[in-house]
Amino acid sequence: MATRSNGTASDRGEVEVLESLQFTDEIQHLMSAPTTDNAGFFTALLELPAPQAVQLLHSPESAKLIAAPVPNVEDFKGSFHFPSNSGLIERAARFSVFAGEGNNNTKKSNSPETTSNISSANLEKAVKSEPAESESSQPLVSDPTVEKRSIKRKDREKKVKESKKKSKTAANESSEDAEKLPYVHVRARRGQATDSHSLAERARREKINARMKLLQELVPGCNKISGTALVLDEIINHVQSLQHQVEFLSMRLAAVNPRIDFNLDSIFTAESGSIIDCNFPSMVMPMMWPEVQVNGNRQQYQQQWHFDALQQPVWGREEVCNNYITPENSLLSYDSSTNSVTLHSNQLKMEL
Amino acid sequence: MNSSHLNPSSSLKSRFTTRFLRALTRINARKPISPSSPREIFQRYRRIKVAADKSMASSVRSRRTWSRATLWKLRSRSCLQLASLGRRRSVKTSTITSRQAIMKKTSHEIENKTTTEEDHQDRFVGQADKLRELVPGGEAMDLCNLLDETAHYIKCLTTQVQLMRKIVDFYSL
Repeated sequence: MATRSNGTASDRGEVEVLESLQFTDEIQHLMSAPTTDNAGFFTALLELPAPQAVQLLHSPESAKLIAAPVPNVEDFKGSFHFPSNSGLIERAARFSVFAGEGNNNTKKSNSPETTSNISSANLEKAVKSEPAESESSQPLVSDPTVEKRSIKRKDREKKVKESKKKSKTAANESSEDAEKLPYVHVRARRGQATDSHSLAERARREKINARMKLLQELVPGCNKISGTALVLDEIINHVQSLQHQVEFLSMRLAAVNPRIDFNLDSIFTAESGSIIDCNFPSMVMPMMWPEVQVNGNRQQYQQQWHFDALQQPVWGREEVCNNYITPENSLLSYDSSTNSVTLHSNQLKMEL
Repeated sequence: MNSSHLNPSSSLKSRFTTRFLRALTRINARKPISPSSPREIFQRYRRIKVAADKSMASSVRSRRTWSRATLWKLRSRSCLQLASLGRRRSVKTSTITSRQAIMKKTSHEIENKTTTEEDHQDRFVGQADKLRELVPGGEAMDLCNLLDETAHYIKCLTTQVQLMRKIVDFYSL
């Protein structure tokens, strides 16, 4: 009987009615197995053949159905043993644990293995929690268990979650997946709410924390600070200091400028030289370095400015800068030669 | 940097330097290089600061919210300067009311956040306001994007400071 139902289950996993029937058949099977304690029940479950275990896992929809299995289950009211009740509930917990994974990873081979890995710890927790519930009302156990399964799935998953680290990581993944599923298979960590709002907020918080880490790397001296509030303070101070520095430097430029003739030739040479001499690890592109190494010092620049051969490959890449040349030429009326200026500007842009 | 992937020669640094130097020449050409009076220097300082911010923002090419906000601010400011006094007031009030609307929206969002999140998020919110004031265009952004913008803004500000310091050092030699 059980094998027949299992066979049908493996063939059409999505038919709800059949699965509900299978579920009841499994309940019968469970009850037939003599079990008196949790450990024994666990082994009884494990002794189930692989297809049955698979089918157990892949009938999560049956756990959600309240109507169909109820009348059948009630027949077994009288002969319901305590371990069988807990077994039902455990399996329901396991179903829900793997419901998300089962929907996403349709690997039947993996599920029984994972069941065995995680089910041990889960069973310990679930069984300990469930006896209190099931012991309360034996005759009504069928209805509340079936309903409790759907309603309290989240609570069980909570307890399931805190059992193992493996389940925790699986929970994190499945919580991400759960958001996409039609059913809200929430993976809540201990002490956290399980509604979709807090899930979304938790995802948001993780994003924010990731960005805070990036900011910490950007701002010097922020890596040692722990605590997000202090890091934010540090970031705010850094931004303020940078803005003040810009103001000070523009003030200095305003004061300094009148003294010196604004000669673009010398500026460009100095600019290219000084910028290349300094080290801008984050800014300078590695592609520029071969050019830089060729032009060692300023004197080499001045020599190479007259070499058209060198300029040929330079010009080829400098399509954008050609647009800059004409307005600069119009402005630089006091320059010696427009050619040298264009060469300088191109060279500068190349160096940068 | 995103720009560097496209064309290594047109990096942020080169774009900023060319634009800024061009603006500097324009400023110097417009005003005679005479003034020792502090007022003149202050005017130059303001112009140079505006030129620096503008050249940095246009080097980023409005790919970022803060650059768009800076350019918008500068352009509206220049429009205000060109317009008459009466028009200036009306434009100012319109900008102020739009800003207030944005602030109201963000404060409303912030209230929702504080009621639902943990305590350390409250601290976030208090400091996020400060950050919003600092980063241009930060008023109308949620915390996540704000942190993104802040990171890019810090990068660009560092570049700007380094290049300006080079220019100043060159001049003061």
